[in-house]
Amino acid sequence: MTEESAFEPLIIAFCCNWCSYAGADLAGTARIQYPANVVIVRVMCSGMVHSNMIIEALTKGADGVLVAG
Amino acid sequence: MTNSSLLGVEGEPGRFKASVLLKPRYIDPAKCTGCGECAKHCPISMPDTYNEGLARRKAIYVQYAQAVPLVYRIDTEACIGCGLCERVCLAKAVTYADAPREISLDVGSVILAPGYEVFNPVELFDYSYGRHPNVVTSLQFERILSASGPYRGHLLRPSDRGHPKKIAFLQCVGSRDEREHAGYCSSVCCMYAIKEAMIAKEHSADPLDCAVFYMDIRAHGKDFDKYFLRAQEKAGVRFVRSKVFKVEPKNGTGELSVKYLDASGAPAGEDFDMVVLSHGFRASKQAVDLANRLRIPVNEYGFVQPGTLRPVDTARGGIFACGAFSGPKDIPESVTEASAAAADAARLLAPARGTMITKVEYPPERDVRAEALRIGVFVCHCGINIANTVDVTAVREYAKTLPGVAFTEQNLYTCSQDAQRHIKEMIIEHSLNRVIVASCSPRTHEPIFRETVRQAGLNPYLFEMANIRDQCSWVHQTQPKLATKKAKRLVRMAVAKASMLESLAGASVGVTASALVVGGGIAGMTAALNLVEQGFPVFLIEKEAELGGNARLLSRTHDGADVREFLVGLIDRVKNHPKITVITQATVVEVAGFRGNFKVGYMVVPRKDILRLECGAVVVASGASELKPAEYLYGQHPRVITQLDLEQRLPEPGGELPGAPLDVPALETMKSVVMIQCVGSRQQGRMYCSRVCCTQAIKNALRLKELNPAMDIYVLYRDIRTYGFAELLYRRARAQGITFLRYDETQKPVVEAVGDGLLVKTFDHVLGEPLHIKTDAVVLAAAIVAPEESNLDLSHALHVPLNEDHFFLEAHVKLRPVDAATDGVYICGMAHSPKTVDESIKQANAAASRAATLLSKTQIQLDPVISEVIDANCDGCAYCVDPCPYKAITLVEYMQAGSVKKTVEIDDSKCQGCGTCQATCPKKGVVVKHFKLDQLSAMVLAALAEE
Amino acid sequence: MNGNADKSKMPIGSVLVVGGGITGIQSSLDLADGGYLVYLLDELPSIGGIMAQLDKTFPTNDCAM
Repeated sequence: MTEESAFEPLIIAFCCNWCSYAGADLAGTARIQYPANVVIVRVMCSGMVHSNMIIEALTKGADGVLVAG
Repeated sequence: MTNSSLLGVEGEPGRFKASVLLKPRYIDPAKCTGCGECAKHCPISMPDTYNEGLARRKAIYVQYAQAVPLVYRIDTEACIGCGLCERVCLAKAVTYADAPREISLDVGSVILAPGYEVFNPVELFDYSYGRHPNVVTSLQFERILSASGPYRGHLLRPSDRGHPKKIAFLQCVGSRDEREHAGYCSSVCCMYAIKEAMIAKEHSADPLDCAVFYMDIRAHGKDFDKYFLRAQEKAGVRFVRSKVFKVEPKNGTGELSVKYLDASGAPAGEDFDMVVLSHGFRASKQAVDLANRLRIPVNEYGFVQPGTLRPVDTARGGIFACGAFSGPKDIPESVTEASAAAADAARLLAPARGTMITKVEYPPERDVRAEALRIGVFVCHCGINIANTVDVTAVREYAKTLPGVAFTEQNLYTCSQDAQRHIKEMIIEHSLNRVIVASCSPRTHEPIFRETVRQAGLNPYLFEMANIRDQCSWVHQTQPKLATKKAKRLVRMAVAKASMLESLAGASVGVTASALVVGGGIAGMTAALNLVEQGFPVFLIEKEAELGGNARLLSRTHDGADVREFLVGLIDRVKNHPKITVITQATVVEVAGFRGNFKVGYMVVPRKDILRLECGAVVVASGASELKPAEYLYGQHPRVITQLDLEQRLPEPGGELPGAPLDVPALETMKSVVMIQCVGSRQQGRMYCSRVCCTQAIKNALRLKELNPAMDIYVLYRDIRTYGFAELLYRRARAQGITFLRYDETQKPVVEAVGDGLLVKTFDHVLGEPLHIKTDAVVLAAAIVAPEESNLDLSHALHVPLNEDHFFLEAHVKLRPVDAATDGVYICGMAHSPKTVDESIKQANAAASRAATLLSKTQIQLDPVISEVIDANCDGCAYCVDPCPYKAITLVEYMQAGSVKKTVEIDDSKCQGCGTCQATCPKKGVVVKHFKLDQLSAMVLAALAEE
Repeated sequence: MNGNADKSKMPIGSVLVVGGGITGIQSSLDLADGGYLVYLLDELPSIGGIMAQLDKTFPTNDCAM
């Protein structure tokens, strides 16, 4: 696979500090490789992610939104 | 001080000198960043003890990825001294010249919690352990199930990495077995085997059959029987009552044949793909050596065995023992004992509280509100952890171009001491007012950097991190260009957030340094005394006219300690302590306020008005009581009594019979007694074990045997649950000829009156036929039940939930066993669940210890990352009120310009900052500080922008 | 009580906790939170004890780590 191919989706992930964000850190410690086109926004609880945030992300160009908590 | 041993302790309680050996680590912990480059180059590969030998590690290693401290160590027994690690370590942390050092510490008290070892079943030749790879121990099986384990969480059998279809769990491997020098029960194996069987079934993609081969299932802890039932009914784990005598490999197949005697004693066998041995506890050699060095006696099995009434004491005053050092026990019991030991140490040292700790002084905080943005960005190489994948210089150059950024720099290790000193200097020199570190995870490093900016006069909330290691360089190692692009994106997001950061400070509230204890039994009085001796005044509310609770009905504990004498002493100390206010015939009716500041309303019989008191903490010790059975002719026949009834009639050894009414024949003249267990426990509507009854019945049976050795005693049971060292009592009872007969829940014994005496009809599972026993008396092990009505009232007043059996629920069943979900409220004794006297004492001291951590503070600082109402936006729709999991939001009304304005109010002391309100609000009327919608939105927009 | 408090009888406000498993850690936290200086000592290179080896704990099946 070439490093920069044609279309790559950009995914915004809202991750809870106590579980999924910690899980993403652990993936790092274990050197589990995954695509670079996901960026994590840390929240203290996935419960604080307003539905408008998700809509805003999608309308302003995100190809996918993940809320994990 | 890791990697260290305690050599000896001299001196007296309150003033000890401890000598400690610091063993060489060959790595400087101040320099090691835990990057792991050294281990990558180390040529030595050896079995990994953390993974129980199922995986391999290097001679330079950390025990596991999440280790604290995350500092490597060289195993000199394996190291060949090649010097590779020293050469590759950019932090210059390798110090081959390290040597052992001895230091001396002045301490007031010592707490010993050296833990235990697990039994190595290689000694049990018949189980094939160590000779067949598919026979593993339960700890090895934990590693197999673990995502960080040798098979990354895939359930595989070691011989061929195939998926097992059938797994057998063998209980009591090296427990309840004098041949292996372990006559005791290891207490925890039944439950962990059930857990492992259930998790294995969950992990397995194909249907998996799990069978547990056991003698008695010991699910004696709180809510354990419900879990056991779930394993049987929901998860379909099979339970086979049996004695396994052999595990035989079947040639070439990897399969194993389990040979056993079934419940009737008939031989049987079944084949499995894997066999898991539930191996028991052993006193560790290290722990025994430690005890010897400190001149502390241990029992015949190598455990410290404190008396039941002083359950964390050792033979030396001021030195306390807790956890598995004093016998097998599970996690919540260990945590409870840990707090209990802390309580005893704190009581001893109360006059010196706070004398050895110093308060950190900070420079005055700069007000940055009027300043233009001046963001400093520090990009970390983390040795080569980031720099090998991400172009750090490019990221830094890019950061310079972002709006508001006034200063950038790159560091080899940003978290090192010198780098932090440098950051402080740069903040001052360049008048920075926002700081970003692009390095590793805020979960581990944010506190360190917040401290740094605080020392430079900035509010700690003006700091932000970009996680370009754990969530970038480490996970995109093969894509350096994309990783660099992502790192820039993450820095751009951090700058966007930093631009909107505000200084925050949590509210500070005072603490009322006194406690309320609800309940005047052994638990309540123990908690009250510990707290008052730690220096905190106590109100003790008891609903009866007398203190003492259930203990008034007990004579001796199973190790022979005199409960009556102990109780009299305890009551005396409580009543005569000038700082304990005892309020009897009283009940709590309402509680307002929050941790540190409770306002309690209570009523005293016969008055009709509500009296009030104020306290900082509440300890719930409201107890439970013995059920009055409605079966087996109880209450209808004078010779059917409960164990507590019997206990009150038992004479002191060699003493006279107490003056109890003799509606049964004199105890010493009785020829036969039948005891029936689980009366009201472990059945529909009360699906829990009352925990104390097996040991209590056996204790009382042995006392009867003492009185009249010719007496025939039968104990009809479902599972004998003499956990820990109580198993030795069970062994003694059998040796003395007490007959134990099992019955099924579906086939309960029947008690009939025959003349003056009684006839008990049951079924003998070994003979396979009905059995009729003529007896002089029947003694029922009646369930322990919570006072439903009064617990419900107290539960509502304190906002502390009950479990379905009406016992108070703890905040976390494993890690916070005495804390209630409501901060500042603690639970102990039988209010929590049925338990023995020693367990109540431990829990009471633990509750006191937890309460003291709160009461010893003059002020408590509330976390500033909580919700805030934007009154102008809030229209009082109250959408946020119900979803709030902490009940921190109330709807209020006030007059504004002549009309009613509705809005909500946040109780800062209750809000945990979860932001559920923020997500439900349609008007941006309530936000979480530091995670406001605008702040999050700025990050999202920055993430979506291009370079 | 003697008005002149004898300094040599005053206890020392620090505690040595031996063992860095879940038990030793809990004792240390309570005492440190209560205003005492705590020395936590472990034979092994990192704290955590046996619980760190466990996968999950019942009944919630929470991760033990």
